[in-house]
Amino acid sequence: MNQQHLWQMFDGLITSFQLTIVSLLVGCLLSLLMTVILIMRTPILHWLSRGIIILFTGTPLLVQIFLIYYGPGQFEWIRESILWNWLSQPWFCAMFALALNTAAYSTQLFKGAFNTIPSGQWQACKALGMSKAQSLKVLLPYALRRAVPAYSNEVILVFKGTSLASTITIMDLMGYAQRINAQTYDTLTVFGIAGLFYLLVNGVLTLLFRQLEKKALAFEAA
Amino acid sequence: MGLTGYSLSLVQASWMTIQLACTSLIVGLVLAVVFATGEMSRRVAFKWPTTAFVTVVRGLPELLVVLFIYFGSTQVLFLITGEFIEISPFISGVIALSLIFSSYASQTIRGALKAVNRGQREAAAALGMSRAHAFFKIILPQAVRHALPGLTNQWLVLLKDTALVSLIGVTDLLKQAQLTSASTHEAFTWYATAAAIYLVITLITQYLVKIIDNKFAIKGMSELKGAKA
Repeated sequence: MNQQHLWQMFDGLITSFQLTIVSLLVGCLLSLLMTVILIMRTPILHWLSRGIIILFTGTPLLVQIFLIYYGPGQFEWIRESILWNWLSQPWFCAMFALALNTAAYSTQLFKGAFNTIPSGQWQACKALGMSKAQSLKVLLPYALRRAVPAYSNEVILVFKGTSLASTITIMDLMGYAQRINAQTYDTLTVFGIAGLFYLLVNGVLTLLFRQLEKKALAFEAA
Repeated sequence: MGLTGYSLSLVQASWMTIQLACTSLIVGLVLAVVFATGEMSRRVAFKWPTTAFVTVVRGLPELLVVLFIYFGSTQVLFLITGEFIEISPFISGVIALSLIFSSYASQTIRGALKAVNRGQREAAAALGMSRAHAFFKIILPQAVRHALPGLTNQWLVLLKDTALVSLIGVTDLLKQAQLTSASTHEAFTWYATAAAIYLVITLITQYLVKIIDNKFAIKGMSELKGAKA
């Protein structure tokens, strides 16, 4: 374990960050879409979203990553299609699995937050002659703000989940830690330092979200 | 229909996953109670180390904990005894999984114990019950109701975390799917089957949990609420 190893781990940490940010963005958009679909009960899409939620919250993330990375190779027609450009890349597969996973969990969060909107607010919107879509535009932002504390957990879960990307050859923080461990056999130091990195990031994320919560929920404090 | 070859080994691997999850659950629950008592202890010498430990475990990726225990335990034993002693992957897996489970579950248990009104303890003391008697007869039955939903969630997380143990060489469901797909070149079929089995185990436990929840629900409580509303 020398300084060069430390820099490698730092490199890995940046990969972990990229993976976290992209999958959170994609996952968040997807979950907002699915939440609206579930609320509006759009015919077929409604069943599709429910299916995605059951599938991705009911199975281990590692299985999902393996299924998305190794699975499509079985089919000739996928290998010959344009999709293969994406699906043959480990980075994309890890991101896709993480995004779908977090989308499934956050849809549940958002839907839960939506269900807690007091019925008086719906009635108020109706009394003003608003359609369902118009009332949603007013009510949903507040429901989402109430979901911020729970969503902060989700962000940390995704960051921790990126460590699984190392199993499909991505050199993130965990990937480098495993490689350096295999080179030096100095498990306690190597994994200890990797652990410190993870703890530090999670600590900073927690503090950041505490500030954000205060701002997002300011409307309730008054 | 008899199961042969790949299907049979997948069933055996599922049994391994269930064994792993159940063993970790039992060890984890015991540890969780220990951690919860430690965190609620008035003595700083108990309180701080447990709080720090539990916070650290919750902040680390599960994969790191599993690998740390598996590879780290050998190194620690080497430093202590000067000999290479390898701990079996199954045992390291159980240790890692139960540590992860207990650091989350201890928070649930702590919250549940705190949710029981102080007055209950005082009333028991006023009736001349010993502290231990009051704890087991008065506090615990009430705390269980608060803790159950959180603990069942943790159980589902634990079940999914068992997949990580395949990375240190336990032939669990995921590992078997990996081996089979390597020899048949049908990756999608076998990973999808493994996913389906995980899903079935999850759905079955959710069903069982509902039954247990109903059993622990206070009889007449829900009807009372319904009558008021």
